[in-house]
Amino acid sequence: MVFALAAYRREEPAMPPPSSPAVRCQRIVKYYGTGDTRVVALRGIDLDVYKGELLMLVGPSGCGKTSLISVIAALLESDEGDCHLLGENIQRMELEARTVFRGRHVGFVFQAFNLLPTLSALDNVAVPLLIHGLPRSLAETKAGALLERVGLAGHAHLLPSQLSGGQQQRVAIARALVHEPDLVICDEPTSSLDHATGHSIMQLLRELARTQGRALIVVTHDPRILEFADRIAHMDDGRIVDVTRVPGTSHEI
Amino acid sequence: MFRIAIKMLWGDRAKFAGLIFGIAFTSFLVTFAMSYFCGFMTWGFALIAENPSADVWVMDPAVPSTELTTNLPDSALYRVRSVQGVHYAVPMALGTAEVRFPNGSFQSFQVIGVDDASLAGIPPIQAGASPSLLRAPDAVLVAEGGTSDKLNTPARVQDQWPYGASHLDVPTRMLQAGDELQINDRRAVVMGIAQALPRYPARPLLYTTIANASRFLPPERHRLTFVLASAAPGISARELATRIQASTGLRARAASDFKTDTVLWFLVNSEDVGDIAAMLLLAMTVGFGVTGVMLYIFTSENLRHYALLGAMGATPRLLIRMLFVQAGMCAMLGSGLGLGACSLASYAVGYIDYPFRLMWFTPLFGMLMVVLVSLGAAALSVRPVLKLSPAVVFAGR
Repeated sequence: MVFALAAYRREEPAMPPPSSPAVRCQRIVKYYGTGDTRVVALRGIDLDVYKGELLMLVGPSGCGKTSLISVIAALLESDEGDCHLLGENIQRMELEARTVFRGRHVGFVFQAFNLLPTLSALDNVAVPLLIHGLPRSLAETKAGALLERVGLAGHAHLLPSQLSGGQQQRVAIARALVHEPDLVICDEPTSSLDHATGHSIMQLLRELARTQGRALIVVTHDPRILEFADRIAHMDDGRIVDVTRVPGTSHEI
Repeated sequence: MFRIAIKMLWGDRAKFAGLIFGIAFTSFLVTFAMSYFCGFMTWGFALIAENPSADVWVMDPAVPSTELTTNLPDSALYRVRSVQGVHYAVPMALGTAEVRFPNGSFQSFQVIGVDDASLAGIPPIQAGASPSLLRAPDAVLVAEGGTSDKLNTPARVQDQWPYGASHLDVPTRMLQAGDELQINDRRAVVMGIAQALPRYPARPLLYTTIANASRFLPPERHRLTFVLASAAPGISARELATRIQASTGLRARAASDFKTDTVLWFLVNSEDVGDIAAMLLLAMTVGFGVTGVMLYIFTSENLRHYALLGAMGATPRLLIRMLFVQAGMCAMLGSGLGLGACSLASYAVGYIDYPFRLMWFTPLFGMLMVVLVSLGAAALSVRPVLKLSPAVVFAGR
């Protein structure tokens, strides 16, 4: 591992029992394929993520990070184990109910931004609200306010192709937060950005998420942003092999 | 979300324009081809349409249409006239004759003999000439009947009578009043050009009185092909047809029913109709195939975006509705443009003798088919959208 984890590593201190984790995964197992071609992606993952916490998931490619966040976000069903999101066992929900639940409680930020290319920044940010049936005018007002908070008030009517990478990621962050989710999942949010932009994006994410007591899970390969984590979960071969608390973080679980 | 669906659709201008153009072209092609077909069918019953005063057409019981006729005895006219409710009845004779031009060239004409007394059945004549011109000896009126250059006669006097091989390939002009023709070695004098409706199949027409027609046409025992009856006030055409049929034993059809009979006869018996129908079917298959494939490709190219919407909480039901809104929007816009283009085309072809008739059901059928195909394509696109796991939003970094 090239990560400079050692600098942050320390023994887990004895913590007061958490009152209500946003995410509680218990013995999560996930397979792909069947028979001889079966691949085990997750081998009995236990993980809690608390409200107001920023957890970073690190590990080599293929270690199961994406599978884990997909299960946590109810995008994939696990083959064994339970995953509770805000106390609800999402694995046991019907597809439609799970989709609605995910839409209301989870926000996403992607490495490649995943903005809809034919929609303006404002429309992109408004999409999660429109999906949940908010009237257009109200959705646009809220989206506009979020864009202002991420510093893009003057760019609301531009298409993604007219924005820089950093600006696009800010739009994506606004979209992830506009519906006030309880959990935000970020997949390599800084990989496509230069150091300074990546740093500002992480600051923004942390500030916006923390102030409202959200749980954040950030999958990253970027050692430069590890300083923003409250905890770092190190994955390898479908397991969480190590969880470290980052010193100096003020957050109390 | 439907606004978002439509924005997704037209956001990629080039793709959207291609999609709409494809659908518009299909809609245009189908509607135009159907209107062309209807135009041919309309030309098929031109003889009936040309005689609007005839409420009922009476014929031999075996005659199925204006295209396949056999003659009646002259007494049929008097039997029809004696039926209660007949306001008046006039005879009409049909036949075919080889007409020789002054330089010796010849052309097959359909001869239409009309009632000597009333001259009922004569179409309007060029330059407002009176039908009574037909009362002159050997008088005929000619019409192109949907053909072109079939009424050409030698332009120079030296190429006219006596004729021979040396006069065949000479400059020509359109027949005009005063020109002479020869039919069965009898003289016919052209009194004018009739503005007859074009025929299907196209053929030059020659109008004359029944007396003249009897001299021009090869001898036959019976010369009367149809009796055209007009209903007295208060009696419908169908009612009169029923009465005539019951009391004479002849076949009597209201004009509108006889038009339908003639169209059906063409549909069953004409090889050209089969060719046109095959062409229409091919155009529809290609057009609808292209439309369906283009819509399917559009959805396939946007699968990742649908997955993203699914990840953000769009339920399968909402995604399906968005798909159908996109397909419906494309179908309505594309078919609207296609029908508009077809309407413009109908104006353009209105200036030439072209078999084109935009009937009420042709645009409706064209639009309905395009909408059905678009919705079918959307239905096919539903499966990949629903089968796609929203987890793909994390793939393809």
